[in-house]
Amino acid sequence: MIGWGTAWTIARRDLSARFRGLRLLLVCLFLGVGALAAIGTLTGAIGNELSSRGRTILGGDVEVAVWQRAATPFELTAFAKEGKVSGGYRMQAMARAGELAAPIELKAIDQTWPLVGRLTLSDGRAVGAPREGEVWIGQGAADRLGIGPGDPVTIGTLSLNVAGIIATEPDRLGEGFALGPVVIARDDVPAKAGLTAPGAMYRAKYRIALPASRNPDAVVAQLKTAFPSAGFEARTRDRAAPGAERFVTRMGDFLILVGLAALVIAGIGIGGGVSSYLEARRGSVATLKVLGATSADIARVYLLQIAVAALVGSVAGLAAGVLVTPLLARALGDLLPVAAGLTIDAWALIRAALFGLLVALVFAAPPLLAARRFPAMALLRARVSPLTSRWRDAVLPVGLGVAGIVALSLIGSRQPLMVLGFLGGALALLLMLGGLGWAIRSAAMRLPRPQRPLLRIALANLHRPGAQTGALVTALGFGLSAFVLLAAIQTSLDANIQARVPQRAPDYFVLDVPRDRAGEFAQTVSEQAPGATVRTVPTLRGAILAYGPADRMIRVSTLKQIPEEAWPLRGERGLTYSEGVPEGNVITAGKWWPKGYAGEPLVSIDERLAEALDLELGDQLTIGLLGIERTARIASLRRIDWDSMGFNYVLVFSPNAIADAPHNLAAMVDLPKAQASTASAKGPLLRTLVRQFPSSSVIEVGAVLTQARDMLRQVSLAVLSAASVAVLAGIAVLLGAIAAARTARIYDNVILRVLGASRGQLLGLQLAEYALLAMVLAGVALALGMGTAWLVVVKLFEFDWLPDWPTVLATLGLGLALVILFALGASLPLLRAKPAQALREL
Amino acid sequence: MTSPSLAIDARNLTLTLGEADSAVDVLRGIDLAVPQGQTLALLGPSGSGKSSLMAVLTGLERATSGSLTVAGAHFSALDEDALATARRGRIGVVLQAFHLLPTMTALENVMTPLELAGQPDARAHAAAELSAVGLGHRLNHYPAQLSGGEQQRVAIARALAARPALVFADEPTGNLDGATGHTIIDLLFARRAEAGATLVIITHDPELAERCERVVTLADGLIASDSTAG
Repeated sequence: MIGWGTAWTIARRDLSARFRGLRLLLVCLFLGVGALAAIGTLTGAIGNELSSRGRTILGGDVEVAVWQRAATPFELTAFAKEGKVSGGYRMQAMARAGELAAPIELKAIDQTWPLVGRLTLSDGRAVGAPREGEVWIGQGAADRLGIGPGDPVTIGTLSLNVAGIIATEPDRLGEGFALGPVVIARDDVPAKAGLTAPGAMYRAKYRIALPASRNPDAVVAQLKTAFPSAGFEARTRDRAAPGAERFVTRMGDFLILVGLAALVIAGIGIGGGVSSYLEARRGSVATLKVLGATSADIARVYLLQIAVAALVGSVAGLAAGVLVTPLLARALGDLLPVAAGLTIDAWALIRAALFGLLVALVFAAPPLLAARRFPAMALLRARVSPLTSRWRDAVLPVGLGVAGIVALSLIGSRQPLMVLGFLGGALALLLMLGGLGWAIRSAAMRLPRPQRPLLRIALANLHRPGAQTGALVTALGFGLSAFVLLAAIQTSLDANIQARVPQRAPDYFVLDVPRDRAGEFAQTVSEQAPGATVRTVPTLRGAILAYGPADRMIRVSTLKQIPEEAWPLRGERGLTYSEGVPEGNVITAGKWWPKGYAGEPLVSIDERLAEALDLELGDQLTIGLLGIERTARIASLRRIDWDSMGFNYVLVFSPNAIADAPHNLAAMVDLPKAQASTASAKGPLLRTLVRQFPSSSVIEVGAVLTQARDMLRQVSLAVLSAASVAVLAGIAVLLGAIAAARTARIYDNVILRVLGASRGQLLGLQLAEYALLAMVLAGVALALGMGTAWLVVVKLFEFDWLPDWPTVLATLGLGLALVILFALGASLPLLRAKPAQALREL
Repeated sequence: MTSPSLAIDARNLTLTLGEADSAVDVLRGIDLAVPQGQTLALLGPSGSGKSSLMAVLTGLERATSGSLTVAGAHFSALDEDALATARRGRIGVVLQAFHLLPTMTALENVMTPLELAGQPDARAHAAAELSAVGLGHRLNHYPAQLSGGEQQRVAIARALAARPALVFADEPTGNLDGATGHTIIDLLFARRAEAGATLVIITHDPELAERCERVVTLADGLIASDSTAG
């Protein structure tokens, strides 16, 4: 066997500088690796940003939050023992300026805030807490209320002065989702404004800056042990913004899967590209063998050529991926927790390149090894018969490549099952399409030969030696499925966003309506908006501390890990009590308590939570409510319609269980349809409510929905742009498959022209062949695309399955038309070939 | 027993292509001994087995049965890769359709077998060989930029570059006009004489066959006649 040096010399000499014949491989790797690089770079950059700025984002090393109360002196002493403490409150409130009112997030802070980072104002000042009687307000609040520095603003019942507009707030990301712009005030403001009366919904937050040697997790563990029923929600700097992290990871995982799908499609192109490249090199392979090259030498020479092309394609893809990241970031806009500019994430790039090279290995190995296997004379003799792949030869490299892809996909993934499911699905799909290609070939071979010559040839083209039927079926199958998939996802998401949500949503949510003023509230609404419906429910906050049969209850604090579906165990939840079954809920087991029930405290729980925790009727549940433990027996299970934007509570207690705890009401206001759409009808109601119920927060659902709709649109845009790479890869594969059959086609066309066929007839021949294939595949694509779209929409996004069939079918039709157009477009140059010239060259 | 002075010693060679019902006996028991340095013409009608015999003798195809020793190597005992290695430096092949590597220049085409054989100074050697066939001015031209005659000269240079003990030529003038064909044959014989190699030419041309010391005629996979010039 020749050395690698000599192999490289021959390979380089034989390799066209412009990669003629290997361009399909280049394009496919470029697209696949580029998509993965862009996605990986973006999510990696955000992840790094989140973890490196954890301390700033959290505002300390440890944060302890508690609902509806301030920390007790004991608790404060324990915090202070660990390090420097900054405490304060967070709550929904209303801000008023003249006739204008807006819901805000009130952030009340002490003099030590911020422990980490600086608050900067739009005038460039770096400041801490505002002075007495002053507030810093967010730009959104300034815009909505039409105020600026020096103007008065009323929060609750307290009048304050705007002292500056917030430019950057160091711990904004760690604060999580807000229903309004932030207003920062001193920590005594909520009490003075009447916002922390017993029962009001607010949260006290304490950030602790630890000495460098102290481990934040140890501090959290210690505090939870010392105060087991305090209801602390604790976070550390390592997981400063868990919601954002989870979103980025999930989105990243999903987008990587889309990128991988593109790469799998590209893989088919790579296999086809390498196969046709070696087919075109058949003469050279034979000649090299005649000159004394062994099969191993041949493998080395062509492996080097393909590796160089793969590297060039991958590197170009990596560069494009890095360059396109800022564009992707812009498309995702506000969805991203942090801005991502032009960044280079080495691991993301290495991962994308490795994926590309592994996919190239899997798909290129079979044809490469097949070329090695052929005896020289057979290569010279069998001019038109193709090199057939023998998978047995390629089992080792293909197996290694697949194992590498699986391992690489699993590294760092938080959803390994989803990844494995996807890879398994992709493999099954490939096998299915491969099988379909084989079936079409076999069927075409066995069908009776049509009388009309062109039809006969079209049919023969599907099964002749060297026919690209397999590659075309896979490319068209994937490509058309992608069209269907995109249309189904897009129309389903649109239908979910536009039609369903607004119909069910109320116009206002009002938080913290005093319990003793419920009647007054309803009356105010009906005076200002006749015909409006008002529903109120008591609202409290508490954490589930223990659950299970009375004699062997499980303490939540002893659980090592909380399963995903048992999310209500994490931190505090909204609680309520009710005399009757809440609207929209259905009892699935047990019985509801009678009116005026006064016996053992009871609770009704969500059936999904019961299933997740293995709870049965008669078991008990202990909650921590304002620092006191209360236990109730499970009397019934309920099915909750989470899609309805009403009041949905996982835990509903019998009134005698919790009604004695201080609490307020939450109200839902539904305006009559005619009023709901007019600002003139809504304005007076909002102003009156804000004036008469200053400690309550009015949230306009429409604005929140618009925000949610925008977010969903951005998610769908991100999904669609990533998926369009898969469609592009499919088109590249299609063109590659057409190009691969070029020599045989020219030969056919020339002979048919010599025999008297017109160009129109030849075009008809091509049309018949591709139309035949496309029609067969349309059904397959419809089933595959819709099936996958259902998985994405229903299982991944947990939306309703609402595809718009006419649009889906029209898109499929468009896809079919495009396929036939592309196929004919690529065939036109073949028709233009001059018979005499072609005969000389053949 | 193989005579050390024989370039080719073939005994009862058979070649069957295809399997089962579609099997065709292409060679049906060929006995051929070619002394070192002899020029031999293989004649015969189309389908008589000439090209197949050449494929077997050059190790491009393995005989179905029989024994074969070429340039001292026992071809019948070698697998395909070993046959490829055995060809290096021992056997040069000139084909009717030239079969130059289209992506390589004339010089690179001639260098390649030398490099495969691990020969040093491949470039200088190849350039000298091309000059010897009158293509010193065409070293960096690609096959597509050369005429048919020039391409066949490159093929001859490539076949003889490693100074092989045996040169096979399969219809070397089949794709060329008469005048060019004559020139090429003159060149082939001249270069062979300089190298002292054994030459086996497959041809339909009786005139060309007459230039050889020995003429073997095949018919239906068997040697029909074997005559040596007086």
